[in-house]
Amino acid sequence: MKWITARRRHPLAGYVVVLLALAVFGVGYALVAPSADRAEAQVMAAAQTGAEPAGGETVDIAQGRDIWERSCASCHGLNGAGSDNAPDITGAGGAAVDFQVSTGRMPSSNPDAQMPRKEPAWDREEIDNLIAYYEQEIGQGAGPAVPEEPPGDEPVRSDYEDEDAYEEAKASYDEAYDAYINGASDTQAGMQLYLANCAHCHSWSGAGGGLTGGHWAPQITDATPRQLYEAMLTGPGQMPVFTEGTVTPDDKQELISYVKTLQAEPNAGGIFDLNRVGQVAEGFIAWTVGLTLIIACAIWITAKQRAHD
Amino acid sequence: MTDKSNDNDNGASDGSADRVIGTPSPAEGRAIVAGADDPGAEHPGAYPAEETHAHSEEEQRRAEKTASVWFLIAFLAGIGFFVAYFAFPPNSAGEPAIADPQIGQYSNMALGGTLALALFGIGAGMTVWARRIMPHYEVSSPYDELPSAPEEKGSFGDFFMRGADESGFTKRPLLRRTLLLSMVPLGLAPIVLLRDTGPLPGDKLKHTLWEDGLRMVVEGTNKPIKEADLAEDGAMITAFPQVEEEGGHGGEGQHLSLNDQAKTVVLLIKIPEGDFKPGMTEQQMNWTHNGIVAYSKICTHVGCPAALYERGSHRILCPCHQSTFDAADGAKVVFGPAHRPLPQLPIGVDDEGYLIAKGDFSEAVGPTFWDAEKGD
Amino acid sequence: MSTTTQAPKALRGVGNWIDDRFHLAKTGEKNLRKVFPNHWSFMLGEIALYSFIILLVTGVFLTLWFNPSMAHTTYEGSYQRLNGVEMSEAYASTLRIDFDVRGGFLVRQIHHWAALIFVASLVVHMLRVFFTGAFRKPREINWLIGVGIFTLAMLEGLFGYSLPDDLPSGMGVRILQGVMLSLPVIGTYVSMFLFGGEFPGEDIIPRLYMLHILLIPGILLALIVAHFMILWHQKHTQYPGTGRSEKKVVGTPMFPGFAIKAGGFFFFVFAVIVALSAFVQINPIHLFGPFTPTAITSGLQPDWYMGFMEGSLRIFPNWLDFQIFGYAVPIGVLVPGLVIPGLIFGGLAAWPFLEQWITGDKRAHNVADRPRNAPVRTAVGVAGVVFYGILWLAGANDILSHTFSISLYWTTYFFRVAAIAGPIIGFIVAKRICLGLQRRDRETLEHGYESGTIQQLPSGEFIEVHKESSQETVHVLESKAAVDRIDDEAIASVEESESDGVEAPAARGLKGKLRAKLAHWYTKDNVSFEGVEAHTGHHLHHGAGHEEHEEMAGSH
Repeated sequence: MKWITARRRHPLAGYVVVLLALAVFGVGYALVAPSADRAEAQVMAAAQTGAEPAGGETVDIAQGRDIWERSCASCHGLNGAGSDNAPDITGAGGAAVDFQVSTGRMPSSNPDAQMPRKEPAWDREEIDNLIAYYEQEIGQGAGPAVPEEPPGDEPVRSDYEDEDAYEEAKASYDEAYDAYINGASDTQAGMQLYLANCAHCHSWSGAGGGLTGGHWAPQITDATPRQLYEAMLTGPGQMPVFTEGTVTPDDKQELISYVKTLQAEPNAGGIFDLNRVGQVAEGFIAWTVGLTLIIACAIWITAKQRAHD
Repeated sequence: MTDKSNDNDNGASDGSADRVIGTPSPAEGRAIVAGADDPGAEHPGAYPAEETHAHSEEEQRRAEKTASVWFLIAFLAGIGFFVAYFAFPPNSAGEPAIADPQIGQYSNMALGGTLALALFGIGAGMTVWARRIMPHYEVSSPYDELPSAPEEKGSFGDFFMRGADESGFTKRPLLRRTLLLSMVPLGLAPIVLLRDTGPLPGDKLKHTLWEDGLRMVVEGTNKPIKEADLAEDGAMITAFPQVEEEGGHGGEGQHLSLNDQAKTVVLLIKIPEGDFKPGMTEQQMNWTHNGIVAYSKICTHVGCPAALYERGSHRILCPCHQSTFDAADGAKVVFGPAHRPLPQLPIGVDDEGYLIAKGDFSEAVGPTFWDAEKGD
Repeated sequence: MSTTTQAPKALRGVGNWIDDRFHLAKTGEKNLRKVFPNHWSFMLGEIALYSFIILLVTGVFLTLWFNPSMAHTTYEGSYQRLNGVEMSEAYASTLRIDFDVRGGFLVRQIHHWAALIFVASLVVHMLRVFFTGAFRKPREINWLIGVGIFTLAMLEGLFGYSLPDDLPSGMGVRILQGVMLSLPVIGTYVSMFLFGGEFPGEDIIPRLYMLHILLIPGILLALIVAHFMILWHQKHTQYPGTGRSEKKVVGTPMFPGFAIKAGGFFFFVFAVIVALSAFVQINPIHLFGPFTPTAITSGLQPDWYMGFMEGSLRIFPNWLDFQIFGYAVPIGVLVPGLVIPGLIFGGLAAWPFLEQWITGDKRAHNVADRPRNAPVRTAVGVAGVVFYGILWLAGANDILSHTFSISLYWTTYFFRVAAIAGPIIGFIVAKRICLGLQRRDRETLEHGYESGTIQQLPSGEFIEVHKESSQETVHVLESKAAVDRIDDEAIASVEESESDGVEAPAARGLKGKLRAKLAHWYTKDNVSFEGVEAHTGHHLHHGAGHEEHEEMAGSH
């Protein structure tokens, strides 16, 4: 106590108090925020990217089995029937496997926590092999298959031998992407479907939002059209299913096109879009930037011209 | 304290001895000096010398340059505004120019940036002018004595009452009262005139278009929904009643008015049979069909669409104020400010396998109002 | 040097022409000599005035194209993404302003940013007035007008926000209607009459438009003019300081000093708002999509000034809802939607009179209180700010929950507790800080300030040399002694001195007792400056500046 008393008038004392207060808030926040499992999951996923990329176009079911047994079977079981901490996925379908793995949500280190999107643990070819193995041995045709029409992951440079091959793949991917997105023609339907069924969780801009019980609806700006399609088809996590019967493949294309076009659109109102959070961010800026700058001007105008002390 | 004698001298010559003005500190190194160097000289300013702290001529000259630079910047930015305006052409038929969001952004930033700079330049120039060219004034001015003197007040009161008496207003009550009486109907007239701003509520808020046999369609595509379309557990969709085409506006979009949309919209959810909670009454279970249940999408709190359905917990969350309803338990409120459950729509299937309503909602849809829970 | 420039002939001509008709020379000079205290916090209200002017000008521009109609249309304009989308004329015409009118997007954003700044500056201006006691007699009426302006400004903003008929704006109207419906007995009637039928109908936007561009701005303009005229007539308050007294105000005169300063400030306010509008996108209605009553977005928020109402609607529990003979009384909507805002605004309006009643202080005040010298008022203000702030934050609890990964329900629980505990803690902390500052002030007044120099006395004792504060500081510190000291005797004496006092003597009857208690509570902890003479403390005599001290003492 004495030590503090002696130093409380030190010129730096105020800053120290502020720093301490910040530290207390920081630690307090770290205690309540369930973010630890996210970091863990990152590490685990990184550790599992050991398998070297396989060459050739043919599906390598053996490699798929290898991945399954090493990384999936421990929770979901060798036959996919699930366990105490993982669901039965025999009926989930290839689309669900592709969605979970290509968005990096699986493999998960913490089955109780919602997984965030992250870099997938395997490259495209390995994932395809895994899906092929799943379709053949575990799902055996049950559940929705991977939708082929909506474009999936963008080509990654490291998967290609040389620049030309990559450029070529990229060009054909872009073409397919544009064809899919521009192939939609009924903005009204796409918009209404999105706003009525998706925006209430994922927000008008696809920025996501909070749910109950510590869950959240993820941001969908990074999702590929195929992943969006698969998510609607399979209803991952807390998300409901939008069947092919209620929202037909054409309707899904309209919906995906609507949200992707919206996300790709530059901000006509200026370079700062405040992450498209909307009114809360605007109010924050009005107070912190707007009013502060104006008051700074007022202080300049009225600053004392004769120091009195 | 060197300025002190100076001030005193000026004060004396000025005759305003009662002015108490802060004495400038002698430690002050800035180029603010008292208005008159020579106490004897006549002070040319608008305000007394001791209230005027002029800047040195050199300081003023420097400041004039600074201010002029600001004004020139403002001028150039102002020209820039016109350039920016004409540099971005308007859209011509079919060819968007500023309607292209990217070009629009450039246009917005160019126009706004130049305008902001022009405004700031003027502001800064004026501030430099006021602070460094004009003298610093510390003018004092008396506050007015607010209450009037008693004799003034008395005179006014006296005068007013004489006038009032003479006018007869105080002495002739019949006149006064009938005048006031005559104002009453006129005062009420505007309120009566507002009567036709809208219809009386009646029981309009309690009924919707839904009726037995009406098919359900997907909002946005108007595709009729079959039972098989919602076979999968966890399936959800926002639905409207299917109505006859009424030659509405535009294409095949909506044929329901917004008013009807706001009341009829439902959330169709397929819940695994075993997940329904025992709290559901038999009637409520009868209103479902093979695990498909339909709830009004309009929150009973203040009317936002409550639509965040979580398939795992079966909770329906309203994004406005976070009222949470349990879809597996008759949409009972489990959290938040809402009080009433979401009204449930009885549903069934027709001969062709399409989902249909089997009547209207169980309760009034939307925000709770006075007689919402009263029968007709 | 002493020659004054002659006014140009043309100017003299105009001046004479006007004076011949209005006899203005004397009034004109008097008004040009009006004095404005030179402190930045006196310019906060000006921010509001200037942003209001900007709002009027940009608003007029927007009306040239805006079509306040809810008629349905299918968009076929220049903005390609929404081609073929069904919407209202209001939304379509807003798209036209954004994408077909050059500079239209900028002006719409200026209008919106200016609105946010307008209400924000009203708040900080009111806080300044509150905490410095500038609302006291004779300025109570201007305070009431200010509260009126604040209330109307919020409504004005809400209605303006609703006009473009985009997704979030329509939801704002929907919530408004939901709150209206909760009114017992008359709720459905009010809603039906305002909306011309059921929600949303076809009438609400034209009606809100009329309110937004005609009725409310008209009333606002009248109130602002009245506010300004009263201010002009009564003159500004001022902070305590050398030469400033209850009788005399010191500052920059209107002409030429303040006119240029205020003019420059107008350009600054405008520049900041335009700069924000140029680079920071606000309310991108073209991205939101048109309103339908069936769709909604997560993270739905009103503009910031309605955030506290949103927050109170969110955290108020549903436990208190009840039925009376089968009729519903949704307390969970009524209280947060109407009673709490009513309490906030009603409390603001009532405070000057309440404080006057408690303290019995009926004197006119022109010198502002330093917030520390009115610890209870300051603490009440802080409690109010905390309460408002908690509700405001609660209005963004979904964003907070999502951004910081905190469970949504926990934020609600937290804010429920914080809305009650926060103001209490705020009150206690603020009051303690005020009293601490008062003690330090007394110390400084008595002993001068701590110079940081350590001296060894001949006796071997070490002391820190205290130096004398400047005369300005002494004046500021002594302002407390001049305005403070409100205790029971003071109340009694004030009342006795009022020869035609209508009120009964203090401490008579229940009301009198309550008042005496409140008065005691209001003043009991105040640090007394009575008998404290500047620089008479013993520390000083050890230190340097002894001579100066005597000179100072002489000047008193």
